[in-house]
Amino acid sequence: MKILIIEDEDKLREVMIRSLEKEQYLVESVATFQQALLKISDYDYDCIILDIMLPDGSGLTLLSELKKMHKKESVIIVSAKDSLDDKVIGLNLGADDYLTKPFHLAELNARIKSIIRRKQQDGELSLSLGNILIYPDKHLVNVDKEEVVLNRKEFDLLYYFITNPGRLLSKDALAESVWGDYIDQADSFDFIYSQVKNLRKKLKTAGATPEIKAIYGFGYKMILEE
Amino acid sequence: MKLAHYTIRNLSLPLLLIMTIWACVFYFLVLHEVNDETNDTLQNYKEMIIKHALSDSAFLKNNENNIMNSYYMHEISKEEANLMKDEFYDATKYIEIEREHEPIRVLRTCFMTSDGKYYELKIEISTLEKEDLLETVLWSIIALYLLLLCCILVVTHYVFHKSFRPLYTILDWLKYYIPGKKIEPLKNETTVDEFSALNKAFEEAAQRGNVLYEQQKQFVENASHELQTPLAVSMNKLELLSENPDCTEEQLREISDIYQTLQGVVRMNKSLLLISRIDNNQYLETQNVSITELGKTLLTEYEEIYEAKHIRTFLIKEEELVRNMNESLAKTLVKNILRNAFIHNMPEGEIYIEITSNTLSIENTSDSPELNQDKLFSRFAKQSNRPDSTGLGLAIVKSIAKIYQIEVDYFYNGKHRFVLTFL
Repeated sequence: MKILIIEDEDKLREVMIRSLEKEQYLVESVATFQQALLKISDYDYDCIILDIMLPDGSGLTLLSELKKMHKKESVIIVSAKDSLDDKVIGLNLGADDYLTKPFHLAELNARIKSIIRRKQQDGELSLSLGNILIYPDKHLVNVDKEEVVLNRKEFDLLYYFITNPGRLLSKDALAESVWGDYIDQADSFDFIYSQVKNLRKKLKTAGATPEIKAIYGFGYKMILEE
Repeated sequence: MKLAHYTIRNLSLPLLLIMTIWACVFYFLVLHEVNDETNDTLQNYKEMIIKHALSDSAFLKNNENNIMNSYYMHEISKEEANLMKDEFYDATKYIEIEREHEPIRVLRTCFMTSDGKYYELKIEISTLEKEDLLETVLWSIIALYLLLLCCILVVTHYVFHKSFRPLYTILDWLKYYIPGKKIEPLKNETTVDEFSALNKAFEEAAQRGNVLYEQQKQFVENASHELQTPLAVSMNKLELLSENPDCTEEQLREISDIYQTLQGVVRMNKSLLLISRIDNNQYLETQNVSITELGKTLLTEYEEIYEAKHIRTFLIKEEELVRNMNESLAKTLVKNILRNAFIHNMPEGEIYIEITSNTLSIENTSDSPELNQDKLFSRFAKQSNRPDSTGLGLAIVKSIAKIYQIEVDYFYNGKHRFVLTFL
């Protein structure tokens, strides 16, 4: 899986690379518009993470160039501009997703996975971890081929855990994945706590092999016991 | 008060005063002139009578036959004559035919005949004509005076509207000027230098306003970029650090604290940006938004989120409340005011919501005492020490309320009650 990161901020680029390499992706990165233009005309990627504000050009221009070349790359726009205009323009130009800085690395990871999954039309539209199998589009969860009934929020949480296995997920990141940035995350810590508790109970009753571990104060982690 | 009315009001007072004085002066001048004329006539008459009397002693007698004028003579001593000067005065005389007193003017004088005798001469002239004249003059003055005043005011009004038309055109144009939106050309033909200058000044000011607006918008967005990126780097580095398997529980605890604090900064930065954007009128697109639906949806979500607090909510009244607003601002407005009722509530507390066709009122129980009205909507004016409060929620509410002319009121009667009135 090849991913290209186009981001002018060195430190941010570096953490993104580190985080994505952990997920076993092949990561390349560039810092400027010109370099990015060369890369995208010469190579093919599965996914491009694109910053809109580049020192020598707009990421939006790059996006339209990409579409002119008839490339099939999925694009996730990453921007500090939390402006609706840019979001609408970006998505209209063919971007697949839009993330506003600052974002959680786990969130970025989840979005990449979701895009790649959607792209693999021939592959099955499901995700699995241990004996848990979920169909995100149908909102179905199976444990050992037995259906487990989850409510909407529990399902969103499980989906987030399964796209980020073995990864420590902060309560903020979990809250944001369930509510979007629409509700202030600080509101939802108690809620996350009780939802995760319910989810754990349901998974345990169903006999799921992956386990949700609480990490003091920080959040949770889904671990698949070997 | 309109400028035209103001001018006319200011004009009428001095005009009234000046014209009254003018009318009085005119009246007394005419009066004086008439008396002068009468005196002259009396003088002439005196000359004539004395001339006749001196040449013919048959004239040395009274003449009372004439109604219009008459004269009386009688002999006086030399001493009396020496003391006497010509004297004019007004008097009345009883006319038997008319059975009433008529005004007369009298000249009293004396003369000496050729035989050395002194005579007093009193000449009387009826001044009925003078009275008539003065009366006519007086009424004419009053009538003309009022007519003139009306004329002046009407003409002023007309001239005012004609000459100040360019001013009103500018005012109309200004009414439709919103910084950040396209400026319509100011069509205001005028030959008056001042108005041309004003046209130019306003058009330039509007252009400058737009340039500043753009700059500020850019600044807000750049500030966002400059802050969000370092925040993102710090946050993400902490995330990576926390995933390091070598981390002890103690270290994770510390990382978690830093992470939470950083999240607070991120939230605060987002809220501040939101306020600046609202205050800069950057939310221009509007549509019809149902506050009722929004309130109900958000209420359900907050009930879920604050499940652990066991707060009971009551929707007392729900009428249809639809307003033309920016959708995301409407959401932010309702969200903040509702969230407020939840976070400042106590466990097992209550929330009462009432939506009428033009108000949204939310009442909640709370441990905190009555809030200080003056500080309520200021930024960072936290009146409690809750960690989940940024102190910006009500400032955001106020900013949004301001652009849509929504009144926000706070009442306290043991419960805290916020009322949004949509004008």
